[in-house]
Amino acid sequence: MNPTGIIQAIQDNIARVIKGKPQVIEMSIVALLARGHLLLEDVPGVGKTTLAHSLARSLDCSFKRIQFTSDLLPSDIVGVSIFNRQKQAFEFMPGPIFANIVLADEINRTTPKTQSSLLEAMSEAQISFDNKTYPLSQPFMVIATQNPAEYHGTFPLPESQLDRFLMRLRIGYPSPEEEKKVLDRPQSLHPAEELQPLLATHDVLLLQEQVDHVLMEESITDYLLAIVQRTRQSDLLSLGVSTRGALALSRAAKALSLVRGRTYCLPDDIKELAPIVLSHRIMVARAQGLRQRSCEQAERIIQDLVDSIPVPV
Amino acid sequence: MPFDQALRFASIWLASTSFIGLTLGAGLPEWLAVLTGAALILALLRNAGGKSIGRLATYTLMSTTGWNLLVIVGFLGFWVDMLWISGELLPAGVHFLMILMIIKLFNLKLRRDYLHLYAISLVAILASGSLTTDLWYLPIFSLYLVVGVWTLLLFQLTKHPEEPRILTMSVAMRPQPLASVSQVTPQFFWLANGLALATFGLTLVIFFTIPRVGAGFYQKGFGENIRTSGFSETVNLGEIGPIKRDPSVVMRVELSDGLPQQAGRLYLRGVAFDQYDGKAWTNRLNYRRVVSEDAAGTFVLRNSRSLATPRLGDTIRQNILLEPLDTPVLFAAPFIERVSGKFPSVQSDLTGSVYLPFPSSSRIEYSVLSRSNSVLPEDLGAEPSVYPESVIRHFLQIPTQPERIAVLAKEITQTQRTIYNKATAIHSFLTHNFRYSLDAPLIEQDQPLEEFLFTRKTGYCEHYATAMVIMLRTIGIPARLVTGFLATEWNEYGNYYVVRQQDAHAWVEVHLPHSGWITMDPTPPSIETRGSGSPAWHALGRMLDTIRLQWGRIFVQYSAADQLAVVRELEAGSTSARNKALDSMSTLFSPFMAMFGGMADYASKGTIQSLAEVLIPTLIGLAVLLWLGIWRPWANGMISKKTTRDEQVIMQLYGRMVRHLARKGIAKLTAMPPLEFVRLTQERWSNASSAVASITELYCRARFGHIPPTREELSLAENHLRDLMTLEKP
Repeated sequence: MNPTGIIQAIQDNIARVIKGKPQVIEMSIVALLARGHLLLEDVPGVGKTTLAHSLARSLDCSFKRIQFTSDLLPSDIVGVSIFNRQKQAFEFMPGPIFANIVLADEINRTTPKTQSSLLEAMSEAQISFDNKTYPLSQPFMVIATQNPAEYHGTFPLPESQLDRFLMRLRIGYPSPEEEKKVLDRPQSLHPAEELQPLLATHDVLLLQEQVDHVLMEESITDYLLAIVQRTRQSDLLSLGVSTRGALALSRAAKALSLVRGRTYCLPDDIKELAPIVLSHRIMVARAQGLRQRSCEQAERIIQDLVDSIPVPV
Repeated sequence: MPFDQALRFASIWLASTSFIGLTLGAGLPEWLAVLTGAALILALLRNAGGKSIGRLATYTLMSTTGWNLLVIVGFLGFWVDMLWISGELLPAGVHFLMILMIIKLFNLKLRRDYLHLYAISLVAILASGSLTTDLWYLPIFSLYLVVGVWTLLLFQLTKHPEEPRILTMSVAMRPQPLASVSQVTPQFFWLANGLALATFGLTLVIFFTIPRVGAGFYQKGFGENIRTSGFSETVNLGEIGPIKRDPSVVMRVELSDGLPQQAGRLYLRGVAFDQYDGKAWTNRLNYRRVVSEDAAGTFVLRNSRSLATPRLGDTIRQNILLEPLDTPVLFAAPFIERVSGKFPSVQSDLTGSVYLPFPSSSRIEYSVLSRSNSVLPEDLGAEPSVYPESVIRHFLQIPTQPERIAVLAKEITQTQRTIYNKATAIHSFLTHNFRYSLDAPLIEQDQPLEEFLFTRKTGYCEHYATAMVIMLRTIGIPARLVTGFLATEWNEYGNYYVVRQQDAHAWVEVHLPHSGWITMDPTPPSIETRGSGSPAWHALGRMLDTIRLQWGRIFVQYSAADQLAVVRELEAGSTSARNKALDSMSTLFSPFMAMFGGMADYASKGTIQSLAEVLIPTLIGLAVLLWLGIWRPWANGMISKKTTRDEQVIMQLYGRMVRHLARKGIAKLTAMPPLEFVRLTQERWSNASSAVASITELYCRARFGHIPPTREELSLAENHLRDLMTLEKP
């Protein structure tokens, strides 16, 4: 199996549905290979759900979608025990979380209790119910979306929970030409449905394992740590990046190297990934004015920090 | 460890090394040594990050003016010191140097302060080098060299951050992995130590090849001669006694024929005395003549040949290394026939003693051929015969004293017929009936000899020898007192005798009509007082002494003549030179070989205690080595991080490419990763982009992926770079 070719084929496959967003597609595959979860933050209708759906379809993985609402309960995600009359016993009915790829749509619309049940599953990769532990199937990836424009009736995720997501992506509007291609497509069928699976779940696990063997040279690790260190010292930020954040950046960089067909990381990988991997883990100081949760602003601050740190030569 | 912290550490260590050298070499006054040591320790602790100490230090800090005032006071003190206290330039200068060092240690702020500290420490180590020729200087100086290389490297490397960035571009492009990391890495560690080692090797070559002038200019004023007694014109009875407990080494005697037959004892004759006035011995035959020199530079003593009848004694060849003494006497086994050494002239008196024109202020080496007298058969049977007039005049003198001694002598010898038998009778009488003791304050006595013979019956060598000479003379046998050393301490590692002050001795020479002067020693062998401590420590001490001797031979006494010899050896053929080098190496290290042998011996003997004494230091040394090697952070990743040559080549190519592009106006900023730089080139100069991309890829692979480029790829990259150089930018 040639990983680069396969990964390229998946990207091309998804690109048939998501037009003009190769970077977003690439990063979502990076998140998958790094065993991470993805947070898509953008206005409605730019293809967040479609992206998740197409990824799942290309991988021959099970895919479940949960629409988060304010009255959603943890059992709606995890599952319930139902009394089975034939067996005269309670039986666990697994919820939608038992899938390879789970789309948590509008995650900030539900209560913190429900949010935390999902987040626990994300970090532990297992569910505890009625004193029993049920492991989740591998690969397991949560793609959550949230809408930055609307704040009425939302429960914003705290930083500690945002930390669980490997990266936060913005999809953005497509260019007029790309948008035209979308409109020209036949509307009868959901575009993701026509995709053919290219990779078995087993192969995904193999690829995830290969990420571990990507070499990160010591000077690059130092570079990464210098960036993390800078976020903790910066006056612009009131909260810097945690050690989990540093670990996430390291894993993501290795996965990106694999996606790009290399067996070693480059400083470029770190520099490119830093804004999307780190921006949701920081808190912008209040003195900076503006809305605290401005996604673009956080990314710009990270970008500026990275631009001031010397790259290993 | 970051570079700047490492620099501060290295600087303080440098100062400490030179301070230790100076303390050992110049003997600083205690208060100054303590003060400087305390300042050094305080500076070290402050650097080690002790916060409370740092706070303490800030309290004690004075203003700049205060320090400047202190320097002026120190300078005035220097003049006072030079004119009145020490009275000499060098010690006063050394004291002032230490004061300056203390002041600098508290003022290490700017880079030039560090430079001042280095200058002070350099002067200090040079001063201590010129003040001493001892062995301890070698490890101190080696340490200084290593630390010095470290310090200067670190000083150079920490230079960049402090300088204003005049050209951001050029700073950005300088491919300097060390500076960018700013950490003391394993490579850096080994680089620094390797450089120090190379410097040391080079110095050694220079030492052996560049002509030398003199040694230790200031040495003379400082190194004091060892004070001896018993070798001047007049010697009071009891003068040798007080020095019998002084263990300082006076000379080392190498026997070229191995151990003499009389295993373990060698008499080293100094001066002979003929006149005794009841309290002191005097040498009246002290008229000295210059000994003539033969063609080979050997001084041959003629009088010894003409005085005595031809005889066939054993010859002893000795190489003697004499420490600076306050007497010009040249010691050797009796009786000296030939002396050779680096002296301008040699004198001898009528008793066969040999002198230099004046006492030597430095260690001298000379070799002697001696021939001992043996008792001829004629003397064993002969009745007392007529002595030459000169012998009678000088060697039968007796001071006015009670008759008891003469009576005693007659009583002892009345049954004996021959001169030789009479002498041996007195000899055995003294040996058996008297007790050896150093606690005999006979020097205040009116008649010390009578006191010794009839009252106390204890004494030491001088009393025995004097008694025997006087008793012999009362019965008409010519005899004289001889002072010198009795060597008993044999060093098996270097094959030489170590002679110490405590080996000073006096004995008797008896004149037999046919045989001439015969050596007799009436002193009974004393109880060995040196036996304290275990044999292992003694072996170790002898081993160290051997190393010290070789150090003095090979390095301190190495002169222009030796250099000439080395050059001749080199001319004679490389093989012989190599052999010589190997020889000298093996001489230098043979004690270690012998040590292993000795350890094996002890082990086989089963003396657990001495084995432990050897093993425990060895184990501690090993533990320290392990600790240095394993627990130190620099030991990590030493093996994994190897940069192959090809990797370095491609990294250099990349550096050249980046510099070339910068000249063309495409600068690589410090925060720009390699691929981003490729994209920048593509935008600005699309013709060049393919070459840049391919070189960058190889560079990234080698630098970050540790995948060395193949030969073809390297030559391709070189071609690309050449094309790039010729390419015109639109």
